[in-house]
Amino acid sequence: MQNAELFTLTYGAIVRQLLTDLEDVDEVNKQLDQMGYNIGIRLIDEFLAKSNVSRCVNFKETAEVIAKVGFKMFLGITATVTNWDVDGSSCSLVLEDNPLVDFVELPDMCQGLYYCNVLSGVIRGALEMVSMKTEVTWVRDMLRGDDAYELRLKLLKQVPEEYPYKDDE
Amino acid sequence: MQFFGGTSEVTLSPSVPSSIGTGPLGSNAYMLYLFNRNGVCLLYKEWHRPLKTLDSNQDQKLMFGLLFSLKSFTAKMDPTRVEKGNLGVPLLPGEGCSFHCFRTNTYKLSFMESPSGIKIILVTHPKSKDHRENLRYIYNLYVGNVVKNPLYVPGTAIKCELFNTSLDQYIQTSI
Amino acid sequence: MIGAGRTKQYANVLDKPLSKGRQEVSLSAFSFLFSEIVQYNQTQVDNIAELERRLEDAGYAVGARVLELLCHREKGNRRETRLLGILSFVHSTVWKVLFGKVADSLEKGTEHEDEYMISENELLVNRFISVPKDMGAFNCGAFVAGIVKGVLDGAGFPAVVTAHFVPMEQQQRPRTTILIKFAEEVLRREAKLG
Repeated sequence: MQNAELFTLTYGAIVRQLLTDLEDVDEVNKQLDQMGYNIGIRLIDEFLAKSNVSRCVNFKETAEVIAKVGFKMFLGITATVTNWDVDGSSCSLVLEDNPLVDFVELPDMCQGLYYCNVLSGVIRGALEMVSMKTEVTWVRDMLRGDDAYELRLKLLKQVPEEYPYKDDE
Repeated sequence: MQFFGGTSEVTLSPSVPSSIGTGPLGSNAYMLYLFNRNGVCLLYKEWHRPLKTLDSNQDQKLMFGLLFSLKSFTAKMDPTRVEKGNLGVPLLPGEGCSFHCFRTNTYKLSFMESPSGIKIILVTHPKSKDHRENLRYIYNLYVGNVVKNPLYVPGTAIKCELFNTSLDQYIQTSI
Repeated sequence: MIGAGRTKQYANVLDKPLSKGRQEVSLSAFSFLFSEIVQYNQTQVDNIAELERRLEDAGYAVGARVLELLCHREKGNRRETRLLGILSFVHSTVWKVLFGKVADSLEKGTEHEDEYMISENELLVNRFISVPKDMGAFNCGAFVAGIVKGVLDGAGFPAVVTAHFVPMEQQQRPRTTILIKFAEEVLRREAKLG
């Protein structure tokens, strides 16, 4: 583990870079989500290698593992899984703390910004690598005046492994 | 063909032809393949492979196909499980039982797959030991030196010097 | 921390409990974030020099913020005014906060009066790197060079800062040297202070 400041400040620098490059808050939100996704598809292997998790079939268990093991491993925090819907295909992750946002206050020009959008992308990317197509959205965001950080996780479908080559290839 | 199941392994022919040799420096390793979940061969290495009959692309596809089918067959023939799909019905990664090696009279193939679909295949001398720990170690090398290399683009062939050197060293000393 | 509202930001930082500095994230979290910064910036440039410049810019923003934070937290708003003072501040205090250790060495250039070098055997951003041949002398350390430049500029010691791989005998991997070339005015001022 290391001091969170380098991480926090570096994240701030990239958000600033995107705001300069893209000049549009919605585009920045999209790009942050995409960057998160790209991180997620890498990070999953580190997670699997370190945690020794050998299979992820059940979505309910998977959500708990993200909240208790995943967040702890990478961000040093944990999250609570709540608000399951009846068929067990969507739930909320409420973060106990959020190292991305230390020292951050959104200036007026950035009010539509989902500053932490990278996180939703990471979860989406990582889950896709273990065959779970999901939709991840922010429900509550303290930078936007809410009382907590809450992500909504929805399982769209589990994708079976297909034979990747066509016969005529 | 007949292999696998749980932790046991079945040896069809215990007699090793005398022509079977070892790689450089006495290592038992013959070849290693690393595939991602889309069947892209991210890495192929060989240390000892006297006979080459196929172009490498064909060779890699055959290897991937062999494992893909084996996984399906092994799960289907699993006598301990009630809920199993029909043969040919795609499995979710991590679903069904998993095999970890098979052995012929001329070589042994060891296999590991991560839930993210990374497949590592190590082909060795038929008499070599259980390689599950080694494959896990190689997976960790991949994570440390490829996945975390800021200049590596996921899904492309691995050209990371750091990984190649560490892998070579590890294979020469531990397999 | 993002652009506008700079003065507002400082007030905000002062309001925060500074003990936050103890919070920890994993090294991997940083490595993955940094990898993505490199990947993203590669899509924004045509050449290696431009890529290094953009990484330096990102680092510069981090350096400027680190200086502010540390001045409040560790020095009671007192700033270094002497050249060796600021260099040792970067080499030890800044390095400790960012990388959890003091830099491996701080040396004066032997050929030029205005050059100093901070070296690290395993710089965090280069720890997992393999630079492909077609990227030539590209060095991710440009990001750290930017951090150093951000700190120095903010403290009133403008300098050109660059990152270089230096092969080491008996070591497989080269070390990274951050080369600092101070602006003329800095050396003149230093000479006056005696």
